[in-house]
Amino acid sequence: MNPLVLEVLVVSLGIALLMVEAFSPKPDKRLLAWIGMAGLATVFVLTFFVGTVPPGSPTAAFYTADSFAIFFKRFALVSTILVLAMSIDYLPVVARFVPSEREGGGLGEFLALPVLTCAGLMWMASAADFISIFVSLELVTISFYVLVAYMRRSNAGLEAGTKYLILGALSTGFVVYGITWIFGMTGQTNLRAISEVVTGGYPAANIPALLFGVGLVIIALGFKVAAFPFQFWVPDVYQGAPTPITAFLSVGSKAAGFVVLLRVLEPFSAVPAIWEKLSAVLAVVAGATLIYGNLAAIPQQNLKRLLSYSSVGHAGYLLMAVASIGAVLPGREAWPAIGFYLAAYLLMTFLAFFVLAVAGGDEISHFNGLARRAPWLAAALLVSMISLAGIPFTAGFLGKLLLFDVALSAGNYVLVGIGVLTVACGFYFYLRVVGAMYWQPVPDGAAPIRVSVTAKVAMALLAVLIFVLGVFPQPVLSLLD
Amino acid sequence: MSLILFWIFAGLMLLFGLGVVLMRNPVSSAMCLVVSFVGLASLFFTLDAFFIGIIQILVYAGAVMVLFLFIIMLLDLKAAPARKLNVMAWTGSGLVLVGFVALMMQVVLGNPALHAAMPALTADYDDVQQIGLALFTNFNFPFQIVGVLLLVATVGVVVLSRKELK
Repeated sequence: MNPLVLEVLVVSLGIALLMVEAFSPKPDKRLLAWIGMAGLATVFVLTFFVGTVPPGSPTAAFYTADSFAIFFKRFALVSTILVLAMSIDYLPVVARFVPSEREGGGLGEFLALPVLTCAGLMWMASAADFISIFVSLELVTISFYVLVAYMRRSNAGLEAGTKYLILGALSTGFVVYGITWIFGMTGQTNLRAISEVVTGGYPAANIPALLFGVGLVIIALGFKVAAFPFQFWVPDVYQGAPTPITAFLSVGSKAAGFVVLLRVLEPFSAVPAIWEKLSAVLAVVAGATLIYGNLAAIPQQNLKRLLSYSSVGHAGYLLMAVASIGAVLPGREAWPAIGFYLAAYLLMTFLAFFVLAVAGGDEISHFNGLARRAPWLAAALLVSMISLAGIPFTAGFLGKLLLFDVALSAGNYVLVGIGVLTVACGFYFYLRVVGAMYWQPVPDGAAPIRVSVTAKVAMALLAVLIFVLGVFPQPVLSLLD
Repeated sequence: MSLILFWIFAGLMLLFGLGVVLMRNPVSSAMCLVVSFVGLASLFFTLDAFFIGIIQILVYAGAVMVLFLFIIMLLDLKAAPARKLNVMAWTGSGLVLVGFVALMMQVVLGNPALHAAMPALTADYDDVQQIGLALFTNFNFPFQIVGVLLLVATVGVVVLSRKELK
């Protein structure tokens, strides 16, 4: 089966959801989420039966369906299913902040847009040409502009939407300008063709101009993956956006950014004269991102903000592995470690955001004594926090181990040193949340927490998977070979 | 000749582009944007890209700007109040700007390949046909993705501009 079918099905599903929303008079929109989840699950199953794009078709130049692309298509599908599952519990909150003429108005699009975003993420995973990278990146970014600003009556939501729009537009400018420089210096937009140009006796006089272009693209992708110094938008946008969208932004957008980063850097990592400069820049960015993300998380009193800084910190660990690609680890040898870490990051981040979405508050003090009010919810957040911190037998620990192994074998000892120190910082601020849940008294007048069955099942699955992948990573790693 | 034209139109574009940002009155900003678009279209003309130049004027300077002015009129936007000068922000962004331009100048001036003259296009070059052919054959796949992008943007505009009823 042609892999293009997958995205066509996802887009059709998104349009079908919009149609159901338009013509169904029922005010209860949970049905839409169920249809969306079932449809995406079907597409997920179909990913195991796809072949390759017929070579020679014009699409083959823009679209690749290697195992890495298929892995990240599944990644996008799973994240979107989880976002829809989280939205079911979160819809009443959205309803309060969306102006509507009738009950349930304006909620259907909140469930249809993530499905269309998912198609964009899947196209990004497959993009093999700067043109398709650009259009799929824009599809994802524009749908996130809408989703972040969705809760129009909330001032924090509007602020988040405006900030994301302005910085997103700026990064779009950088990526287009960078692509034009790369096109100008190689005459190609296709990554494979660029690889042939730069490895086949590329004139040394042209290298500074080419580096300028690649640097601009790295800046733009730095915005997407939240790397220092392009991370200013992260805390405010994460805090103001609806919680399921924050999770989507933090996992889906970041993972797609890393896929594109790896694909863009692949042609250049084979040329030592270009790569020694690029990897030095990436190493500096990685170190700064690690330090900033982990240190700035320490004083946070709000769990959503804490998770946003933690998201910056995790981008640092991933960039550390990206900077280690080179002579020792040529081509795609470091890619499985990065893919595995992103998968582990999906599990633990979504688990934390599930708890946030159902707990009904995001200050850390709101979680005081949660272990006595809702022991299972507290246990779920505990699992997520110890995995984010990197305690052994969790997926987070094994993921970090793989990334440190990559950096060590490339000889990036300074980065590994910074990484180990920042992991220690991480222990402090992640376990502070655990401390609040288990050792603080329950505040007076705390409302009981109701958790829907969907959320319970999703959280249990995520928590179990964190431990399963922590001791038995082979299933995921074999998908990445 | 075309070099002189390039400097004139590029200068106009930058000048009025600055005007868009610095003007306090939204109508003046919009009018500056029109001139900036016309300058850009002229740059396309000097590159023999007549079709893109005409589209630039028809769509952007024409349709999009009329829409902008209508919206400004309907919303009855007033001039934004003058804000206090934020020294830190101006210094920071100034430093980034100077660094960026210096880096770009170094790249442009240090590369002989960027100063070579380009061969002229053949006289019977039909740019409308070339663009259409590229868009609907080789670049058909990204073109379809743009279709989905427009759908998302349309849905987004409808959702975000929903009327508030009491």
